[in-house]
Amino acid sequence: MPRLCRSTRRAMGLLALTVCPLLPAAARASASDTPPALQAGACSVRGLMDDIRRGLHSGSASYQRYLRTLLREAAVTLPDAELRDAFSRETDPVMAEHLAAALVARSEREADLQAMDVVAQRALQDADPAIRAATLRAMRRTSALERTGDLYERMVRDDSPLVRQEAATNLIEDNARVYAGQYGPAADTAVAAAAASTDPAVTARILDNLSTEKVSAESTGRLVSLLRSDDANVRKAAVNALGGVPAEQMQGARESLLAMYREEKDANVRKALLQSVAQLGFQGAIPDLQRLRAMDPRLASEADAWIQVLGSGLQEWSLLLREKQRLQQAP
Amino acid sequence: MTPDSSHRSAAPLAGAPRRRALLLAAAAGAVLLGGVALLARGEDGGATDSGHAAAAELSRKAAAGGRGPGGPAGAGGAPGEEPPPPRFEEAVCWRELARFDTAVTLENFRAWAAPLLASGDSLVADYLTERLTELIGQDADRAAQVLAWARDAGPDEFEVLMTALRGSEAVHHAQVATRMLAQGMDATLDGARRAGILSALDTQKRFEPAALDTLTTFAKDPVAGEAGWAATRTIARVMKRDFEAKGQVAPYMDALLTIGTESPDEQIRYLALSTPMLSTPVLDEQSLARYAQVLTQEGSPDGREAAAHNLSVSGDGARVLELFSQSFAQERETCVRWALFRFAARAAGREALPVMANMALIDPRFQPLYQTFEQLYASGLHDFVRLWNSLPDQDPFGCLVGHD
Repeated sequence: MPRLCRSTRRAMGLLALTVCPLLPAAARASASDTPPALQAGACSVRGLMDDIRRGLHSGSASYQRYLRTLLREAAVTLPDAELRDAFSRETDPVMAEHLAAALVARSEREADLQAMDVVAQRALQDADPAIRAATLRAMRRTSALERTGDLYERMVRDDSPLVRQEAATNLIEDNARVYAGQYGPAADTAVAAAAASTDPAVTARILDNLSTEKVSAESTGRLVSLLRSDDANVRKAAVNALGGVPAEQMQGARESLLAMYREEKDANVRKALLQSVAQLGFQGAIPDLQRLRAMDPRLASEADAWIQVLGSGLQEWSLLLREKQRLQQAP
Repeated sequence: MTPDSSHRSAAPLAGAPRRRALLLAAAAGAVLLGGVALLARGEDGGATDSGHAAAAELSRKAAAGGRGPGGPAGAGGAPGEEPPPPRFEEAVCWRELARFDTAVTLENFRAWAAPLLASGDSLVADYLTERLTELIGQDADRAAQVLAWARDAGPDEFEVLMTALRGSEAVHHAQVATRMLAQGMDATLDGARRAGILSALDTQKRFEPAALDTLTTFAKDPVAGEAGWAATRTIARVMKRDFEAKGQVAPYMDALLTIGTESPDEQIRYLALSTPMLSTPVLDEQSLARYAQVLTQEGSPDGREAAAHNLSVSGDGARVLELFSQSFAQERETCVRWALFRFAARAAGREALPVMANMALIDPRFQPLYQTFEQLYASGLHDFVRLWNSLPDQDPFGCLVGHD
């Protein structure tokens, strides 16, 4: 309570109970009417962190976005030692994430190439899983995949499910958003991490959301191995991933999938098999699909849908997927 | 507040890995569009970037960024030359911005934001835009107030106002959209202002027939100018949204083809003819026939290229292939021929190879390209997108930049 109010209350007794609450409001109204004394100045680590800490508890979402962008933009000209020191001392996961993002920004813009390592080390070593997850998030949609060695193979085996999922999200989003699915080594890193994970949910999630257009033969081999997983979701995701492998690996992938169909009992995995066979062969897959249709009456309508869509002659996989979805949604 | 790590400003010439990443990302983003990526600025584009000549040029440059691995690598000094050390501008931190954020209202926004806008700080301008969007919220009256300010706002403020309005929830109130459309049609306003207002309609989920008709009639008006260009782009963007959400495409396609064939402005015609490719609808019989007419009758090579692009996704690949075969023989523009050649593959896949071989006989410059396509199909590729990404050179005739 403001000092004025405390002294007023002492002097006025009960009457003050009604007056005092009004005073701050009036003062606020007055302050609100006065334009802020906006003044441009240099940024500092301490000042920005103070602003962000305050912004966490008040302020609009737009102001919060502004502050986090400002910190990243300012990072390249902020004192490196001060930034690293603030990061190493920070124990609040949200603030640590902001500082980690600033260090990553320095690395991305080549102001400090080693800054990414500092963040990666903390992701690996911090005792608090929330900090490990936060620092991983700070590396998202950056070139971290190329700069952090086997970080992701280790992070997908983290004790914390949250950390493992954050690692999976980075692998998915980096491949899709930074490399547009067109950079083989990044996709190989994701496949290696998926294969290294002992968490089936993580393995399945990575492979279900990864373009394998540029993966190596070694990665395709790993995917084929995962077809024998005990977990149906992992098998299904490996099937999906094999549908998109490079041209020189298509024939082998097709044979693996066709052979698997005979033994597979799970209907969802079989459904994925139909899709990947369609993807690998386009119109040329129709005879295979007709054979597979006869093997499992449960999936006859699914096979029919693929046969019909492939017969349309469309020459892009995304269009075939879209048209199949429309076909099956049609009343 | 949760940080994300999508870095706003481009790195100064980054090291090899980053360059590669950016190049590859650009390659995929521009896939297929070769020279006709007029909406490449996409959903993130500001509401007011409406100078259509400049935009067309920009889009060509954006498309040029889509070269494959064999294409020019972009910026860089002479071989062996050390890149200069990165130089960065100091970011600006604003004293009392927290208080601004807490106390700003719609009523005091213009006055309070003025010094920030005048500073030229783009970060704070983005913040002001988003803050204004929050202040407008779902309130139609507030949206109307902002729209009223747009009548006399200076260029920087106008951009903030319209971008904020465009992103607000209130913009989806029918009365707000109607008022914006009416103001966009107001001939007493200058062309850039009308263009900005009409561009801000591009977040609509759909257009009712009357609004679509108004925009179409306006866009093909000989005096529409850049506002007509903006109206056309808005139709295309709303078409994409409505198509993705509800599968609705026919009325928009009809509107764009009408503009694309009736506008006297070549840039507007081109925009109208090219933009359906953003939605990639499978052409129905009627649209196929109209685009076929464009392919043979449109005077602008860019327009004919756009027609070839759109015709390549239809339910009648054989008919399109025949059309492309005939057009190639009659076509004299290299870039249009290149469009007919590559989009023949998109229309019919490997079945197009005999037609493409014949094109290469007519024009021997296409012989090596034919061999490349033949090899790619022989490798087992089917998906045209992947085939396109595998081309050693996606721009063998320099059509992506500066041929117009």
